[in-house]
Amino acid sequence: MLPLSLLNAAQNKPMLVELKNGETFNGHLVNCDNFMNITLREVYQTSADGDRFWKLKECYIRGSTIKYLRVPDALLDSVKEDQNRARDASRRGGPGGARGRGAPSRGGRGSSRGGPSRGRGRGRGA
Amino acid sequence: MDFLIPFTTSGSLVDCVDKKLLVVLRDGRKLHGVLRSYDQFANLVLEDTVERVYHGSAYGQTRHGVFLIRGENVVLLGEVDLDLEDDVPLQQVNLEQLLPFYHQENEERKVREAHKAKVLYDQKGFSKEGGEGDGY
Repeated sequence: MLPLSLLNAAQNKPMLVELKNGETFNGHLVNCDNFMNITLREVYQTSADGDRFWKLKECYIRGSTIKYLRVPDALLDSVKEDQNRARDASRRGGPGGARGRGAPSRGGRGSSRGGPSRGRGRGRGA
Repeated sequence: MDFLIPFTTSGSLVDCVDKKLLVVLRDGRKLHGVLRSYDQFANLVLEDTVERVYHGSAYGQTRHGVFLIRGENVVLLGEVDLDLEDDVPLQQVNLEQLLPFYHQENEERKVREAHKAKVLYDQKGFSKEGGEGDGY
């Protein structure tokens, strides 16, 4: 999990961003890119001295001005879980690919065929 | 003989992953945490981070959790030897007790540095600190 992938995974999560000049921004991450440029929403901006505050609806921060970002502790664990799940899924799909893909789709089609038809039937009856 | 040339780029960080590190930032902050990830810019992900402030042989610390540090702000990082860590002659004290002394020391240092920079610029032909793009 590279640092920037972690940042990507932090979308819609709360975070604290400190700039090189010491100003801090508390808000929820809306979007980010590979330059570490970010947009936040519902932001509380704090001056470097910590004596002045501003509330911003939304703000954009150029990546090169960032000193560091603080993200929720739980994010590392959730990202790790997501990775494990993705790896297991690709492993199951790997060797028995045709079988793996076939089984759920058969089940899916079967149940979906049954669902609507039963629904229609009851509807006509009433 | 290429194999004798050591990694000096961010690739050398591979040995530090999942180790406890001390990271010093350009603003003088000292962070202790477990390195979980890094990239080609030496951007770092630290877990269970604490920030320590030192004054003399005393230190205080605050918990900060997960840090994503932009690599260009790092001055140095080094692995903490867990076997020797407890033998270091430093004493942990309450952070609130320490902060006044720490701030005072910081102010004194700032005055000293300003004076030094002025002498270097006025008399010794040095350039001023903080060129274009230096956000500090």
